[in-house]
Amino acid sequence: MGKFKEIFTNKRIIILIIFLVLSVILIGPSISEGVAIRSVDKNSQATQALPHAITSPDPSLKPMNREVIQSVNGVPVKTIEEYYAQINMLTENQTITIKTSKANYFLTTKIGNLTEAQDIGINVYPRPSNNIQKGLDLEGGTRVLLQPQEEASQDDLELTVANIKQRLNVFGLSDITVRITNDLFGNNYISVEIPGVNEQEVKQLLAQQGKFEAKIGNETVFKGGNKDILYVCRTAECSGITPGSCGVTSAGEYSCGFRFSISLSQEAAQKQASVTKDLAVVPSGFGQSYLSENLTLHLDDEQVDELRIGADLKGNPVTDISISGSGAGANQKEATSAALQSMKQLQTILVTGSLPVKLEIVKTDTISPALGEGFIQNAVLVGLLSILVVIIIVSARYREWRISIPMSITMLSEVIIVLGFAALIGWRMDMAAIAAIIIAIGSGVDDQIVIADETLGKKKKDVEDDSWKQKLARAFFIVMASYFTLVVAMVPLWFAGAGLLKGFALTTIAGVTIGVFVTRPAYAAILEILVENKH
Amino acid sequence: MKRNERRKRHEQRVQEVHVEHSEPKQTHHSESKSIYYREYKKLLIIPMLMLIIALVLIGAKLATTGDFINKGISLKGGTSVTALGENLDSKIIETQLKSEYSSTEINVRTLENSGHQVGVLIESDILPEDNQTSNSFIESIQKVTGIQRDNLSIETIGQTLGDAFFKQTLVAILIAFIFMGIVVYLYFRTAVPSAAVILAAFSDIVVTVAILNILGLKVGTAGIAALLMLIGYSVDTDIVLSTRVLKRKEGTVYQRVIGAMKTGLTMNITTLGAVVIGLFIAESAVLQEIMLIVLIGLLVDLVNTWIQNAGILRWYMEKKGEI
Repeated sequence: MGKFKEIFTNKRIIILIIFLVLSVILIGPSISEGVAIRSVDKNSQATQALPHAITSPDPSLKPMNREVIQSVNGVPVKTIEEYYAQINMLTENQTITIKTSKANYFLTTKIGNLTEAQDIGINVYPRPSNNIQKGLDLEGGTRVLLQPQEEASQDDLELTVANIKQRLNVFGLSDITVRITNDLFGNNYISVEIPGVNEQEVKQLLAQQGKFEAKIGNETVFKGGNKDILYVCRTAECSGITPGSCGVTSAGEYSCGFRFSISLSQEAAQKQASVTKDLAVVPSGFGQSYLSENLTLHLDDEQVDELRIGADLKGNPVTDISISGSGAGANQKEATSAALQSMKQLQTILVTGSLPVKLEIVKTDTISPALGEGFIQNAVLVGLLSILVVIIIVSARYREWRISIPMSITMLSEVIIVLGFAALIGWRMDMAAIAAIIIAIGSGVDDQIVIADETLGKKKKDVEDDSWKQKLARAFFIVMASYFTLVVAMVPLWFAGAGLLKGFALTTIAGVTIGVFVTRPAYAAILEILVENKH
Repeated sequence: MKRNERRKRHEQRVQEVHVEHSEPKQTHHSESKSIYYREYKKLLIIPMLMLIIALVLIGAKLATTGDFINKGISLKGGTSVTALGENLDSKIIETQLKSEYSSTEINVRTLENSGHQVGVLIESDILPEDNQTSNSFIESIQKVTGIQRDNLSIETIGQTLGDAFFKQTLVAILIAFIFMGIVVYLYFRTAVPSAAVILAAFSDIVVTVAILNILGLKVGTAGIAALLMLIGYSVDTDIVLSTRVLKRKEGTVYQRVIGAMKTGLTMNITTLGAVVIGLFIAESAVLQEIMLIVLIGLLVDLVNTWIQNAGILRWYMEKKGEI
């Protein structure tokens, strides 16, 4: 019994236990039930909820602190399927209650853009069961790596990041990470990560510089962004598919038109008036008169649409203008959704203006959530079986529980502490990071074997036996050498490859550092108490 | 040797816990007969030949293809698509896609979990810069596999970025190598033993790369990360060996080598065990690539540590007058 007391009063072992407890608290494992809110669409009914709007979670919020939906109309929802089963039952103008972990909301459904009732605009995902954030390849989602096409200052890059964030927010995505990364050669990249979403159209939105110009003749009348455009209508009252605009084109495709209204600033309206006042009025065949020049809309120097200007607008500083465009598809449904999609993009660009630098997409990853889910279970299995195999080998080699059991405890502690560290600094665990954990454990086992062999080596009759302290110093001489070599090998990787391998390098370094300073000293202490004191 | 071991182990259990790292004198008789004991200088030919052949093979590859490894798409640009499904036939998918895109390189392989198919991985050098081909390629995959675009996992990487990644990973390996050399030298402060450790790590990487080439395996960014890790891993056992031989005084040099080997082989075997498990069970291509490279590298390292480095150290000690 004395040994147990000795173990639990040892300084190194107490430090290990404190680290373990803190890690478990940080990871915060729990039984996961229910659905959490991932994002809330802009202008959706959810934002009109009472007593206050349901909002998208702050991306910096720990996974376990996300708002969880507990019931819809009093019916408990535990899975995504149950949530959508409730949502799909809703009809127009129905008042519903949504009970979440934070509040009880009331909101009213609305008539949809098409014939169905409009979605209330809450996107959900299974409630996280712990605070470890999953990387894109495990959770599923979209990652786009953009590279500036020209020399860009740090200010320009930061402005671009802010603009991209705003664009994605306006587009309805909030749980996003946009950051500047660079590589060994000093190239800058902008990395955009959108977990859980598999949206192709986002890519176009990111790569477009979004330089929007409305011209009459060669004269620019107004530009995208909040200087010229004060308001962009994105609600159903003043934006959507133009009634009766859908039809078959000469190429045999379906085409639908969209329109939405915008409000110009006084300055832009004056500019328009001064340009149009000198234009001639041309009568058209249908009894309507138009001006001799059209209003052309340009996106990134390409004309996207051309509008005729009514004669009554000549020299008139109107601030309300209707912007239109179209989308095509194989059938009416496709054409409708293509038109709505283009409309959403154009609206976004008009609101946010153009990016200060021209960007090119250099890498895209879209991972389906189903793939990531399988990977996590598999990776956990790989980790557990690897540990098991190592325990079997070590047990077979030493045939001594006083060596192999502390070794197993140390291995598991290292995994828990690395994960706790990941939860603490909120970095996303991806597949490479999991590989790094396996590696860190592997090198941990190596060190423990060295410690065991150095300290428990057979005594020689002709040589005076060294004290435990000396033996331990010898063991840690080797342990530190392998630690330093592994760390210096990982440092360059930290900076290489636009930050994509940072997780791997960081996890390996964190893992071995925790091992060398926390778990391995504790392991040596346990060995000392269990084995050495018997002499 | 075997009987001796067993007897010792028995003694161990009767007496108390300890782990021997220097062989008792009784084994000297069998020792003197072993090639490993007597012919260590001649044995050095094995790792040297291995390194030379590897360098020649890599040189030949560099001369003929312009690259010294088979670059995966993450290092040269391209498109990689993962489709989940137990019944997808990789052969049929490959033939169909190849017939449609004959001018491009297309590779389809099954993703397995413990021998059970979970999906297919389609890799092609179609660059995202070529927007039209890239899009129609994805559409073709949708048709062939019958899987919606949203359920496909698509990764594309542009040529410029791939090239940049490749160059950087080379620089990263070089820097890692120099750093490692500095650490090792600061630790041992003697030229020959430090050089032996660095040579072993260099040889590990070169021979591993040559073997990857012979097997026709492609290396992506994950693979480069694995090669870097190999530096860390291979140096571990070399350090155990060098420390025991240079800094200990008990026993003969050979006995110290054998003692280090007991520790070192245990280290190698545990790592190999974990890596083999990873290789067979892991579904993720990233994890598999890392595990395979570490596995090959560790096997190569067995020769480079216990024949090459041990031989050089014994030679060095002999010159210094210690046997």
